[in-house]
Amino acid sequence: MTRSSLAVFLTLALAPALPAADWPQFRGPNGNGVSDEKGLPVEWGKDKGVKWKAELPGRGVSSPVVAGGRVYVTCSNGKRDDRLHVLCFDAATGKQLWHRQLQATGNTAAHPKSCMAANTPAADGEGVYALFATGDLAAFDADGTLRWYRSLVGDYPTVTNVVGMASSPVLVRDRLVVPMENAGESFLAAVDTKYGKNLWKAERPQGTNWTTPLVRQAGAVTEVLFAGPGGLTAYDAATGTSRWTAKSAVGSVPSGAIDGDTIYLPVAGVSRFKLGPDGLGEKPAWEAKEAQTGYPSPVVYAGKVFACGSQGFVTCADAKTGKVLYKERVKGAFSASPVAGDGKVYCLNETGSCTVLDATADDFTPLATNDLGGDTLGTPAIANGLVFIRNDKMLYAVGK
Amino acid sequence: MHVRFWVAVGLGAALAAAPATSADDDLAKALATLKAVGKEGKGNEDAGPAWKAVVGKGGAALMPTLGAVDDAHPTAANWLRTAAGAVAEAERTAGRALPAKTLEAFATDTRHAPSARRLAYELLLTQDPAAKARLLPGFINDKSPDLRRDAVAARMAELDDISKPVTRADYEKLLPFARDKDQVEFLAKAIDKLGGRASTTEHFGFVTAAHLVGPFDAPESKGYTTAYPPDAATAPDGAFKGKDGAEVKWAPAATADRYGTFDLNKLLGKHKNAVAYALAVVVAPAETPCEVRVTSPTSVKTYLNGKEIFGRDEYHHGDPFDAHTGRGTLKKGENVVVVKVCQNDQPQPWAQRWQFQVRVCDDTGGALPLEQKAVVDGQPKTVKLGYNPTPAADPKEEKK
Repeated sequence: MTRSSLAVFLTLALAPALPAADWPQFRGPNGNGVSDEKGLPVEWGKDKGVKWKAELPGRGVSSPVVAGGRVYVTCSNGKRDDRLHVLCFDAATGKQLWHRQLQATGNTAAHPKSCMAANTPAADGEGVYALFATGDLAAFDADGTLRWYRSLVGDYPTVTNVVGMASSPVLVRDRLVVPMENAGESFLAAVDTKYGKNLWKAERPQGTNWTTPLVRQAGAVTEVLFAGPGGLTAYDAATGTSRWTAKSAVGSVPSGAIDGDTIYLPVAGVSRFKLGPDGLGEKPAWEAKEAQTGYPSPVVYAGKVFACGSQGFVTCADAKTGKVLYKERVKGAFSASPVAGDGKVYCLNETGSCTVLDATADDFTPLATNDLGGDTLGTPAIANGLVFIRNDKMLYAVGK
Repeated sequence: MHVRFWVAVGLGAALAAAPATSADDDLAKALATLKAVGKEGKGNEDAGPAWKAVVGKGGAALMPTLGAVDDAHPTAANWLRTAAGAVAEAERTAGRALPAKTLEAFATDTRHAPSARRLAYELLLTQDPAAKARLLPGFINDKSPDLRRDAVAARMAELDDISKPVTRADYEKLLPFARDKDQVEFLAKAIDKLGGRASTTEHFGFVTAAHLVGPFDAPESKGYTTAYPPDAATAPDGAFKGKDGAEVKWAPAATADRYGTFDLNKLLGKHKNAVAYALAVVVAPAETPCEVRVTSPTSVKTYLNGKEIFGRDEYHHGDPFDAHTGRGTLKKGENVVVVKVCQNDQPQPWAQRWQFQVRVCDDTGGALPLEQKAVVDGQPKTVKLGYNPTPAADPKEEKK
């Protein structure tokens, strides 16, 4: 082995386990709905443009996640919605590699639109971490071996609500950050990815909160930003210590997006805030009140903010100024968050119809509207040149 | 020769038995490790390797793992359940048959845990789909809600076959086995259509007669955490200072609703930031374990004979049927069930409901042979729990 080849080997060996093409958590590698992938699909349908499809055993509001050439999906079913499923597929072929089932240990009541497979799992080179709205939390390796499991309701018996929980866990290196805001004992916790034990557990107010934490580097500190009805709070990812709270930046369902030292929050439509080392600026740089989000989180891409509303409107605003460039009604209402990559924005509605927009255009420029059908509430994933779409019955890998 | 033969046989048997015993011991130890997991991930370090060890045993581990669920707590049961599923998946992938006869024996043996029996039944169906028709009739009165539901559904499908004659008695015979509201509703309507009368209040064991007191003042929507004199009351006695200083007293109330709904807005008037109590006297023929199941869109507490058995502080997130279940034991004779029902100050039109349903049933949701104290024709009487001589018309039917 030559000196240079050794250097290349070491570089590769020390590189993060996940290649850039992965989509390991809710709204992708950076939690903002944006992919660096190229050659993404424009047109597809039930009979064209789908590389593979696979049947799913139940409903899911959760997104598929992709890591290490595997697609992980969660589902729930049963009269009581108490059967919880974690499935793994080969990302290239769609072959089902394994399927594990859990019995819900927590309450299974939820808004009829939601279900127990509402939280998007997180994945890394080791495997997948699946959180359900029942408080069941399991870590499987890439081959389906159960690494650890916890019943958060078993641990904290009052955890539950009757409207459902949908906040997704996020990975911060060797810890999984678990949001659990509900009508009972509410907290944000970090558990170690090896055994699932608490590293810290920060008390949170009781209430309904479906937002997913964001992660950013603030100097030497990695912060977990978690929005809720009381505002946006930054926690030190290492200790769980609360560092600051911006009370005006409230959250309930959609999540924000961080772009460098800027954060876009679904507040008053969408608002842009300066994100300094000690928190948010007091007032937003702008508010785009027309950019109503409903359930979906906005995506910031190609210098624009895209918001898909529950009523079927897509709003696009200039990311620097907040000026609304267009607001157009497209087919259907949205629950899934828009995702973006390769110059396109994918707006997937609740009936499985996806409007693909030209993200580079300043006016409303749909490239295609593609219909797969099915009740579709989960946000798509982008990885390996494919767009992964799940509905209540099927998982599709769209592209070549 | 004889001696040599038997020595040889003995040695052979010992050699054959020794590894089996060791393997059995290993499996037993691994299963014990899975059952020993505790709260907050306690035991996960050992449980991960133990799970692998169980699955590594292959098909031989399937039935012992299912059997281990019998006395496992819910967290341990999911470790075991996933292991059993992984074993079965590996066996199928390897082209080996699952032990159909043993699975059938397990599924039909009601001494085993209902969830494990359900899993055994599902595994059996992957091997022997014909088992469904063979076994379902035997599950009609099963402890497993899913097995029971499937059995009732299968019989309902038979009754729905228009090529065969069906009588009211067929539906009346099936109704007592149904537990899920949709199935009960279907069967009750079928009986009504055929000229019979099926009481949903009696079927579910709803309290239809109670004493009410309120409203009490609950500033800042803190009624749930505020103590009032009727908390844990054991008799409908006394007068209290209520909202705005008005005196409030226990007063008898009854409901004719098909599902035992007490509409407090109608019975006590519309109030915000308020608390009311309902007290029912339930008469049991003998000491009886029971569940007290409450349905309400607002915060509730449930007391049985002065002891709090359930509490949930959550407002206007929906009111899924039976969402609030408390468990206790009825004593022989009169028992007092008290339900505290809170209302907050949300102004939205959908947040105005202030109501509850309460029923006393067994752990499958089935009616118990209970009576309740009621006022009938102005006279205090003891009547069947769910007594409802003039049920209100179904609002859905009225609209038609």
